[in-house]
Amino acid sequence: MHEIALAHAVWGQVTAEMEKHSDRCLKQVHVVVGALSGADPESLEFALGLLVAESEWPHAGIDVRQEPVVLVCRGCGRTYPMDEMRLTCPACGGADVEPVRGMELRLESLEVE
Amino acid sequence: MAERIRLEKTIVTENDRLAAALAERFDDAGLLVVNLMSSPGAGKTSLLEQTARRLTGQLRMAAVDGDLATDRDARRIAEAGMPCRQINTGGGCHLNGRQVAEAVEAYDLAELDILFIENVGNLVCPASFDLGEHRRVVVSSTPEGDDKPVKYPVAFRSADCVVLNKIDLVEATDFSPASFSGFVRDVKPGVPLLELSCKTGEGLGAWLDWLRTQREAVRCRAAPSPE
Repeated sequence: MHEIALAHAVWGQVTAEMEKHSDRCLKQVHVVVGALSGADPESLEFALGLLVAESEWPHAGIDVRQEPVVLVCRGCGRTYPMDEMRLTCPACGGADVEPVRGMELRLESLEVE
Repeated sequence: MAERIRLEKTIVTENDRLAAALAERFDDAGLLVVNLMSSPGAGKTSLLEQTARRLTGQLRMAAVDGDLATDRDARRIAEAGMPCRQINTGGGCHLNGRQVAEAVEAYDLAELDILFIENVGNLVCPASFDLGEHRRVVVSSTPEGDDKPVKYPVAFRSADCVVLNKIDLVEATDFSPASFSGFVRDVKPGVPLLELSCKTGEGLGAWLDWLRTQREAVRCRAAPSPE
């Protein structure tokens, strides 16, 4: 439901970047949405599509990819993908774990011509 | 000629900026700010009423309360002894930094020990909107079922404390406290889990102790060293 606000933030970054490449045409935007970021990829793609259509590059494509959560166990050092919503370490059962990927919303790259 | 520009930039939203400004303001004032989240009806307002009744006179507290409509919650909290400002979000499903910044204008923050932000009843969107708080509390309740932590992992993952309310109703439901605590541990290992009943008062002591400890931790951090 808040993906429209997120889309505006993403688009602000895209346009700021394109100002540095004002002689180029935007062809594709690649965004990564962490599985625990709280944003829904489909809704974000839809909202970004609305902004692109209104922009000076109305034919640019939008690619929003969901990134799985990857955790690291501080106990045994193992790095592992999160299995469903279980965060504890599958190797040692440790609870002192930290997500290393999958928490954030990221503008990954732009394709320009 | 096509070219790929690699950026790998974390998106910073307007709310992130507002939240950072609020966090600085709260730190300068030296008070503890607690953001309460839950699904509708879990007992956020009841918890604040009980907190007001038990801690008024010991700690200086105030609240801001988000709901789509009415000021019913703010009146309940104020009647229990805690000043409370109502924020009506219209259709908004969560509080944002701008609404909180405006609402706290009503208070002299430096004269408070704890400010509570009661979010809109919703376990999805509020979790994605930082309000500059020091601590997040997720309130759940036994009639909702014991699998809420894994169904709403973003909210529970962000919690600094999980409160399980309506523990007095556990016999009337299929709720398993052991399953619930297991799911909480899966999503946020090590987070404090406080089982209580706002109705009977059972377990409220541990909640008040947790609040006092957090208040002290924030105060110690804010106060300049006596040396």
